[in-house]
This record gives sequence, C-alpha cells and structure tokens, in this order.
Amino acid sequence: MRPQLRALTFERERPREKILQIDRVHKVFHGNGSFLPVLEGISFQAEDGELICILGRSGCGKSTLLKIVAGFLPPTSGKIFLKHKSVEGPGPERGVIFQEDALFPWLTVQENIAFGLRGRGRDKKSRASEVERFLGLVGLTEFRNYLPGEISGGMKQRVALARVLILKPEVLLMDEPFASLDAQSREEMQNLLLSIRQELVHTILFVTHDVTEAVILADRILLMSKNPGRIREEIRVDLKRPRTRDGSDFLHFSRRLHESLRD
Amino acid sequence: MTVTSGAARGGAGGPFSRKKGKSREKMRMNMAKSRKAADLRFLPGIIPALFLLVWIMVSTTGLIPTYLLPHPLEIAEAGYAYILGQSGEGPYAGRFLSDAGASLLRVCCGFAAAVAVGLPLGVLSGRLFVIQRLTSTTVNALRAVPGITWLPLAMVWFGIGMRTTVFLVALAAFFPVYLNAAAGARQVNPLLLQAGAMMGVRRLRGTFAILLPGAMPHLVTGLRLGLGISWAYLVLGELTGVPNGLGAVIMDARMLGRIDMIVVGILVIAVIGRLSDHLLQGGMKFCFKSARRMT
Repeated sequence: MRPQLRALTFERERPREKILQIDRVHKVFHGNGSFLPVLEGISFQAEDGELICILGRSGCGKSTLLKIVAGFLPPTSGKIFLKHKSVEGPGPERGVIFQEDALFPWLTVQENIAFGLRGRGRDKKSRASEVERFLGLVGLTEFRNYLPGEISGGMKQRVALARVLILKPEVLLMDEPFASLDAQSREEMQNLLLSIRQELVHTILFVTHDVTEAVILADRILLMSKNPGRIREEIRVDLKRPRTRDGSDFLHFSRRLHESLRD
Repeated sequence: MTVTSGAARGGAGGPFSRKKGKSREKMRMNMAKSRKAADLRFLPGIIPALFLLVWIMVSTTGLIPTYLLPHPLEIAEAGYAYILGQSGEGPYAGRFLSDAGASLLRVCCGFAAAVAVGLPLGVLSGRLFVIQRLTSTTVNALRAVPGITWLPLAMVWFGIGMRTTVFLVALAAFFPVYLNAAAGARQVNPLLLQAGAMMGVRRLRGTFAILLPGAMPHLVTGLRLGLGISWAYLVLGELTGVPNGLGAVIMDARMLGRIDMIVVGILVIAVIGRLSDHLLQGGMKFCFKSARRMT
C-alpha cells in the first residue's frame, strides 16, 4: 500500500500528460421554437490521474457536460479530445457511472461485472479471475450471486463502479453517482473511490452539487454558474490526503466554496 | 455481564454482521416462500373440484336432464374410450392420438409463423419510429377485424383443412405477440442501452444482450396470450369439416348427438391448452435467464 501511495505523490509532482481536453464546447437545446443555451464556451483539460469535480447547482448544465464527454449527446459546437483523438459517441475508454441504477436487472452482481468483458477476445479463465479481482476490490465477493433487485443502493453503485473499472477505461465519468444514497453509504462510497484510486490510477470527472463531496474528493474543482452554464472558477484543492471531514482546513475550504456557490 | 457483551457483539455494526444478516434474511425469505407454496398447492384444484361436485349432484338428482349434460361418469367412460380404447371398439375409440397430433401440428405451425413475423416486427416497431409509423395503422386496422371474419375468405383461398386452420391461428396469434413485443421493446430503460453503449456493446449484441432481455416480461406475456388464442382459433378452423383434429371431433359429435364427446373434447382442449402454456413458460425460463429472473 505504502509504496504505491508514494509513487502516486511522486508522479503528481511531474508535469503530466493532458489526457482529456474539452475545447470550447457549446450546447444549445432546441425546444418548440425557442433556443436554450445550456453550456457556453466550456474549456478545460484533465491531466492523467487527476480527479476533477464539476460543482454546480442543479440546472447549471453539469450533467449535460458529462453526457457530451461520454458521447451520449453531441455538442452544438466544440470538441472533446481523449489522448488527442476526437471523441464521437460512447465507448469503453470512457466509463460512465450513472446517477440512477443502470445495472442489468436479469444479471447477478457477478454477471453484471463481467458483462463488458465479453467479446473482448480473452479466454474464460482470465476473464473469471478479473471478475474475481474486481468483486473483491469493491467488497462484493459474498454478494456475487445476488440480483440487483436484492441489494442496496450503495452496493448497486459498487457494482456499477466495478463493471466499468474492469474495462480499464482512460477516464471515469461520474454523474452524481452517490446523490441518491444515504449519508453513511455516501461517505463509504467516497472512501471506496479514493482507496480504489490508489490502486488503479484513473482520470476522473466527477459531477456533484455537494460541496463536502467535492472537497473530499477533488484535486481540482470547476465551479459552474447557471444560465448559461459556464466555468466560473477553477479551484485547486491542495489539502493533504487523506482528508478528514472535520479538519479546520477542510471546514475553511468548504465554507469558502459554499459562499462562492451562493453568489 | 456476559449476556450484555454477547448481545452487543451480536448487534454490533460493521459490514460483516450486516452482510450475514442480509444473507440470512434472504434464506428466511426463501423458506417462507416455500412454506407458503406447500400450503397453497391444493388451491388451483378447489374450483374444478367444486364444479365437479355440483355437476355430480345436478346429474344424479336429475335436475338437468342427461341429454343436455351427461353424468360425469358417462363423460369419464367416453373419455377413456376416446383416449385409451382400441380403434374399432366404438365410433371415437382410440382416435385421441391422431386428433391431438393433428391439432398440435396445426397450432404449432400457426403459432410459429405468428412468432416468426410478430416478434421481430413488434420489437422493431417498438424501437424504430419509422417502422412504428409504417406498421401501426395497418396492424391496428386489421386487429379491429374479428378473426372469424376471415374464415369464409380463408376457406376460399386455402380450402378445407390444414392450411385454413394454420392461417387462422397465425393471424390470430400475431396480434398479441406483436403488440406485446412492441410495448416491451418500447419500455426498456434507455439507461440500460446507454450503459451498454458505454461498455462498447454494438447494436447487434445490444439487441440480444440488453434489448430482448429487458423486454422479456412483455415478450413472455405476448407469447402466452398468442398461444392461448391459437387454441381458440384452432377449434374455429377445425369446425369447418376437416376429418381429424380436436375441433373436428367436437363438431362431429354434435351432429351425431354425442353430448358426452363434446364435453370430452372441451376438457381435452382445456387440459392440452393449460399444459402447453406451462410448457411455454417453462421452456422460456429454461432457455433465458431474463425470463427466469424477471417473470
């Protein structure tokens, strides 16, 4: 555990490759004769291994932005580049964790996690051991034969995480994934995400409206404003990890964010 | 003291005790379910048993004359002869196998044709707006026509026998299969398809691995309704004077005044229809995880 941690911090100090580029993305929704600009001139870059939280109030277009990066929606103008390649449509190199339950209800936990591996030209044995590994990683080994309908919301999101991580995506796109969980499960999931990140370094775009969540998780916070959605402020979170939710730095930081979110 | 600490250990939080609790809960649920099932196994038999009782009573007391409704024993005798008798012993003796075989063949052909066309077309029209626009008006107009209306035309086109019956069965079974497949395909959660696309699932595999399983409860309902109506139209097709088949036996018995054979025919169709429904459901559950786990 230790050496990996050190390796991560060491890497942090070097300038890192810009893995994801969002280049002047605009999005306009057309609805019965009127135009609704949702996103205006969104540009930012994510470094390899960086965890970026997109923070904003509901209706600021943060989920729309994530859907565009995921490829579910085309931008009205602008481009997304992943490792300098333009992004068109959804693909397994950009794993998405949805806010709602999007597991296949007819597959068990184990089968859900294995779903994306099928047809990827690997033999059964190595696939099974991969599934085993990721079941353990999210702590669901005992629940492998349960159906999604039989497990809690927090466990469902763990399955959602595992089924995406197993595909080794370049970036992880998370759309308020823990918003519908109770406070304890949410905290548990946040810790799980951070601990997983130490084992498998991933670039993560994390959309949330929860200030505390953003401060706990993020390397960098992009604060979005509404009507139309813009990036108003970019805040580097240089609090030491592991962060505690009641440290004075932490509270200070959260308070400042709360204030800027309000006006 | 020890009691308190034991209780505290048992009730302590932590992920492990919760997990165990959950699996135990599941076990308990299953046990409760199976106990309930054992208690209620006789339930489906109550109505037929009561019915039989009343029938025996009205027949033995002579409340209903036997030329309208024969005594159950007479029915049993006629049924025995029909199903297990040697041919030549009586007018209907031993005909069961060939009648049931002929009828089954007709139902299977008609139902298979209905599924082969109705299922893909339904799924397509549930997913693709163009197909839905293209087909829905026609299908719904045709659906408004009672199946029996096709009988005269079918007799002109196909003559009396196998082909007319198969045509009627296929036509009648098509609509429930098509409509339910369309409804099922339409209501599949778009998030599941997005999730598939995000995991690199292409269209063809997405159809078989996500769309159809997601629509499975509706597909099964459509198939069951279709198969049920197949038996109804089978009898209609066979009433037209074909030499064999379960419907033909009923028609024949009416002309000869053998009320007992009519009742035997009705009962045989009821039993075979019920069995075929069981078989269909069981087959779907055997073949598809989604049918096993979602219906």
